[in-house]
Amino acid sequence: MTKILIVEDELDTIELVSRVLVAHGFDVVQASIAEDGLAQARSEKPDLILLDLGLPDYDGQTLAGWLRDEPSLQSTLIVAFTAWPEETVKKMTESYGCAGYISKPIVSVKDFVEQIKSYLMPV
Amino acid sequence: MLSSVAAAIKLIPASKFTIEQLTAIYNQTRVDYMVPMPMNPARLAEYVSTYDVDLEHSLVAMQDDILLGVAMLGLREDRVWLTRLGVLPNIRRGGVGEALTAGFLEQAERLQIHFAMLEVIKNNIPAHQLFLKLGFYEVGELLVLRRPPFSQPPDTVVADVERLDRTDALDLVRRDRGTQPWTNQSESLFNASEVAGLRLMLADGSRGWMVYQRQKFTLTRFIYKTESGNPSDLAYAFLTHLHNQYPRLDTHIENIQVADPHLPAFYKMGYVESFRRIEMWRGVPPASLVGNRE
Repeated sequence: MTKILIVEDELDTIELVSRVLVAHGFDVVQASIAEDGLAQARSEKPDLILLDLGLPDYDGQTLAGWLRDEPSLQSTLIVAFTAWPEETVKKMTESYGCAGYISKPIVSVKDFVEQIKSYLMPV
Repeated sequence: MLSSVAAAIKLIPASKFTIEQLTAIYNQTRVDYMVPMPMNPARLAEYVSTYDVDLEHSLVAMQDDILLGVAMLGLREDRVWLTRLGVLPNIRRGGVGEALTAGFLEQAERLQIHFAMLEVIKNNIPAHQLFLKLGFYEVGELLVLRRPPFSQPPDTVVADVERLDRTDALDLVRRDRGTQPWTNQSESLFNASEVAGLRLMLADGSRGWMVYQRQKFTLTRFIYKTESGNPSDLAYAFLTHLHNQYPRLDTHIENIQVADPHLPAFYKMGYVESFRRIEMWRGVPPASLVGNRE
């Protein structure tokens, strides 16, 4: 089963995203701070990490940097999950080694799941 | 209903709350921000200490037993700084932000301080309008920049380089660097740990210095001055030395003035813009901010 790690500090968002992804057949693990996110990534070896850029201990960019430095995680897909403006998030995700981004808030559950799938199975 | 919220709120000194409570209310007020910047209690405590936040004169807005918002007050000599202002999303536009900002200004008056500074995220129109209404005026635009770790830095520029320990680095920071936003003022560096610096002279005689804070995973709080020569060339030389020394550290620098002549060097080194802030002042800037500190 495809495993997704959600690193997000907002509890309502974690709950919504988890519920949606589980309902669509994904295995979901969660972390709400960057240090736990790194630990979960190391132990769970997810296929994709959905990464909030604003976290309370270290921010999402710093965590992306740690993940990219981890030999066992270098090919793991990191997808930023953020409300940042498109132009900014494009530059930021590119420079921090993310595969792309998904905008917050989730407006359409169907579109959100399609976006996740598109990163896992690029055309 | 909205105006009744503003009428019924009480402004309580932030010192009456624990750092955990202050962190919780701050995070709740930012949850829907484009750039939320959440904190944990340790980060907020560091923020309070680094930026001289005076919790006795900072305010929490409450109605009954519910925390509605927060406004923190930084205090240095004859100037104050409004920071971490936020109101719960579901009660915005009801006068709580205005009450907190007006309360902040009253606290400044109580301290007999007549000059206030703040930064507001660019495009936060309601907050910007509120500050204009309460007498603040724009003084410039500021950049927040990032550089990812592990990107191979270019070779170091050939130069005479002297590494400076904390004491020597802070001695340079004391000198006149022109008017700076609150976060980049000398006091912020005096309060920070793990501060070091570089003094550098290029082959053409250009010279200057740079001071920075090295945190566990991050380089931050860059303070620099070109004493002679081209600022961009000198900054580039500094950055090649710094990033070759710390290739595994993420870099996060805040509130660089858009007209800073050193900026081209940052972009050349792979820095990217996170977002912009507008700096605003209220009152006449005092000599301690604009005067020569040499």
